[in-house]
Amino acid sequence: MGGTQKKKFERGSATNYITRNRARKKLQLSLPDFRRLCILKGIYPHEPKHKKKVNKGSTAPRTFYLLKDIRFLLHEPIVAKFREYKIFVRKLRKAYGKTEWSAVERLKENKPTYKLDHIIKERYPSFIDALRDIDDALCMCFLFSTFARTGKCHVQTITLCRRLTVEWMNYVIASRSLRKVFISIKGIYYQAEVMGQLITWLVPYQFSHDHPTDVDYRVMATFTELYTTLLGFVNFRLYHSLNLVYPPKKLAALSASLARVVSTAEEEDAQLDQFPTEEEDLEKAEAREKEQVQLETQKKIFEGLKFFLNREVPRESLAFVIRCFGGNVSWDKSVCIGSTYDVTDETITHQIVDRPNVDKRYINRYYIQPQWVYDCVNAKVLLPVEDYFLGVTLPPHLSPFVEEKDGDYVPPEKLKIMALQRGERPEDEEEEEEDDEEDDEEENEDDEDEAEEKNLKEMEKQKSQGKSLQVKVTPGKMKVENPVRLEQEEKAEEKRLAIMMMKKKEKYLYDKIMFGKKRKIREANKLAAKRKAFDDEEKAKKKKTKN
Amino acid sequence: MAAARRLKRAAVSQPGFLGLKSNVEPSDLVSSRRKRVNKNKKKNWSKHSDINDVEDFLEDIRHQERTTGGLLSEKPDDTLFFLDVGQTEKAENKEPEPVQGEKGKRRVQRPLRIDLILQHDSKVPPPKNVTAYQQPNAKKLRRIAQKAEQLAAKGVLPRRQKRLLNRRPADKTVKKAEANNNPDREFYSMWGDKEEEVTDPADPWYLQQTGKRVVPRPEKLNQKPSVLPAVEVIAPGGSYNPDFLAHQALLQEAHDVEVQKQKQEDKLQRQLAVRKEDRATEETILHEQVEGLVEDEDEEDAVAPNEDEADSAVAAIAVAEKKTERQRKKEKAEKIKVQLRQASRRQTEQQQQLFQLRSIKSSIKQQELKTKSRRIQRKARQEAQKAQPRRLGKLKFQAQDLEVQLSDELAASLRQLKPEGSILKDRFKSLQKRNLIEPRERAKFKRRLKVKYVEKRAFRQIT
Repeated sequence: MGGTQKKKFERGSATNYITRNRARKKLQLSLPDFRRLCILKGIYPHEPKHKKKVNKGSTAPRTFYLLKDIRFLLHEPIVAKFREYKIFVRKLRKAYGKTEWSAVERLKENKPTYKLDHIIKERYPSFIDALRDIDDALCMCFLFSTFARTGKCHVQTITLCRRLTVEWMNYVIASRSLRKVFISIKGIYYQAEVMGQLITWLVPYQFSHDHPTDVDYRVMATFTELYTTLLGFVNFRLYHSLNLVYPPKKLAALSASLARVVSTAEEEDAQLDQFPTEEEDLEKAEAREKEQVQLETQKKIFEGLKFFLNREVPRESLAFVIRCFGGNVSWDKSVCIGSTYDVTDETITHQIVDRPNVDKRYINRYYIQPQWVYDCVNAKVLLPVEDYFLGVTLPPHLSPFVEEKDGDYVPPEKLKIMALQRGERPEDEEEEEEDDEEDDEEENEDDEDEAEEKNLKEMEKQKSQGKSLQVKVTPGKMKVENPVRLEQEEKAEEKRLAIMMMKKKEKYLYDKIMFGKKRKIREANKLAAKRKAFDDEEKAKKKKTKN
Repeated sequence: MAAARRLKRAAVSQPGFLGLKSNVEPSDLVSSRRKRVNKNKKKNWSKHSDINDVEDFLEDIRHQERTTGGLLSEKPDDTLFFLDVGQTEKAENKEPEPVQGEKGKRRVQRPLRIDLILQHDSKVPPPKNVTAYQQPNAKKLRRIAQKAEQLAAKGVLPRRQKRLLNRRPADKTVKKAEANNNPDREFYSMWGDKEEEVTDPADPWYLQQTGKRVVPRPEKLNQKPSVLPAVEVIAPGGSYNPDFLAHQALLQEAHDVEVQKQKQEDKLQRQLAVRKEDRATEETILHEQVEGLVEDEDEEDAVAPNEDEADSAVAAIAVAEKKTERQRKKEKAEKIKVQLRQASRRQTEQQQQLFQLRSIKSSIKQQELKTKSRRIQRKARQEAQKAQPRRLGKLKFQAQDLEVQLSDELAASLRQLKPEGSILKDRFKSLQKRNLIEPRERAKFKRRLKVKYVEKRAFRQIT
């Protein structure tokens, strides 16, 4: 009887997990080495569903790993390298202690190293897998490339990160893949589309350097080690897909004109696309072609324009963005190597300045603030330059990563931009602005509350009619002539009758839906009213300062 | 050891040997405590016979022959000894003259003493150098040279040359292993254009036994540990020049977080605060001060009601009397009645259920709806849980503060922008959030041995 009884914690989930210290002892590694190995191989701790079972009855917080993962780690050749390194350190310390300098030299020459190529191949068996994980890698590499070259982390790592990030940016320029840019208080977010994958990465500002003490540098350095290797191989593959030479030479200034080679390749691609694959879906093919053409034009918004960057603007970021969309860019010679033309060049069309005023002004060029470039990229259209002149209060920099759904609040700046994208001329906008001013005056005369309520109700009706379920109604207009008004009233009557004839259940559902819609619309209008109030305040302030 | 003992015994057996213990006879020392051996057997002739003396004698003779050229006992007297008569004048005058005068004739007649002394006088002749007597055979040498030429013309190398060539050439250029973070490292095509054969064509058993088999990566490791994206873009209010309402929304979020924190703190304060009832009033202070000083009748009354309560409690634990037969029968009958009633009730219920089908259906439907909604809620909660960071260790995950700039901190231009938050910390927290590493604290510096503080002698004198 004693032998055949089942004992607790001997099967099931208790045997699938292993604690961190046990795993470390099984691998015969020290804790930092074990951590490094787990990071490199991509083995993460798991939280078991039933902690009590796995922890043999106690609920103490412990780190658990899957036993199969640890057994897999035993076959890793890098483990041997870690042990060799430990022995190397011990020998080196002994030689130092005995002041045997020849031995020290000899040991240092034969320092054991390891390569991570096979791990990359194992973790990312195909190229698309690697591309999916490249976000993290890019962020880390950009972060490390901005570190100062003191002895805190390996200077070699920093140099390698710098090289890889410059190569990546060059690829994005050459393939015109940049889609969105967002300047935030944290750093600059970029989004590019590479081989169908949307890749987002964050670049820190060059001048921010506070190193917080509660970050584990060894962990970050290990991640960076893995990611530099990954990014290197990805770069190689991407460059080869564009038939460019890898590694490219003379990249430090980002003014190498590799774009020439790429544009010919792109033209060939465009011609090939015209062959229709499906003859039935002519409409679809046409739509696709339209999109393609649109995309192509959007990729070249800065083509033909010549930019000059002043000293105080973020040179790397602006140069990258401008070149991505086909523009020429240069800067002062004393700032960095690689400037192609000088300030005095007559053919410069735009000069990017961030000061309140400039001493010498040339006639043929616009002096604008750097936000213009970023806003144009996000809007995919050249915005009017007047809003971005020196000394002008800039319009807010909107986030391109926000997708507004129907009925949500849309800031007026975005509406303007959408109008520009559709191709309306700026004169209409001026008229609208005048109308707004007139309306403002009118409202100031009447009771403000009543007017607001009226507006709100009318807007509600409009939008609700525009999106009604059952009855088809023509959208109502603000200023309406009489016969059209009669028609409208008739139709409204019909609608009311139809609503009365609905069954209770259906009416209940209908009310619920309308309530939800109306609530959304009301909220959006409230926000719009708030915004209007704020704008009015600003206008009043401006008037006061003028007077 | 046995030889040493034998020698000792030999020394002891000499007549006139004086041991330390003078009263002991030498014969006793030798003969006592020795095992009796049968010397008639062939086995024991070489084992137990003592021939050291003979060996020594013979060795001595050989030594004399080697060094002095023959036995000393056979040598003539004047080679070993000379008579010291003292030096006469004649001898003194003679010695310098012959040296200064004619050297040649005299030298030949009488050899120098030093030469005589240094002459080889051992009976053992020096070995002959055979090769010194060899004369090269010209014919033979010519023939050897011709043969060597013929072989060389054919291409056959002599054995020596062959061995030299077979020797491994010395590796002058040792390939230094390249570090992984070398800035000039080379990359190659990893995801090759052509389809390579993934598995080795060799026998899988062979590969496994020799340790060359590539262990496949477990499938579970390819799943991402979290559904969160790698890079989370900040809300639109985080732009360096934000839209008014977006900025307000972000400030509102930060404000909410702060309000929560404040609430937690207030809750703690409230829980720790002293209750109003426990606060001392003047009455209670007076009562406390006066305790024990005044004799009260109230105390006696307070004692009495307590006793009554105790009595009633005691009465309730009265002794239970035994049941009679009648009572038992009654109880049984009642039990049976109740059972019958229940059975009939059940029957009628079952019959009536036919007519209650509609209501039963509706109640089932309601229950199903409930379970469905609960299932949906549970699924939604599970999905939300997946987005949460898992608890992977001793410390809980601490989300970092929202990066927000107040309205007066907003920069007027890109040049004046002051970045908020550290990206290093942000990445670190993101790694923890996505369950890639466990949340960790900086390791404290613990000393293994305690530090002793000792005052300097000078200070001790002062204080």
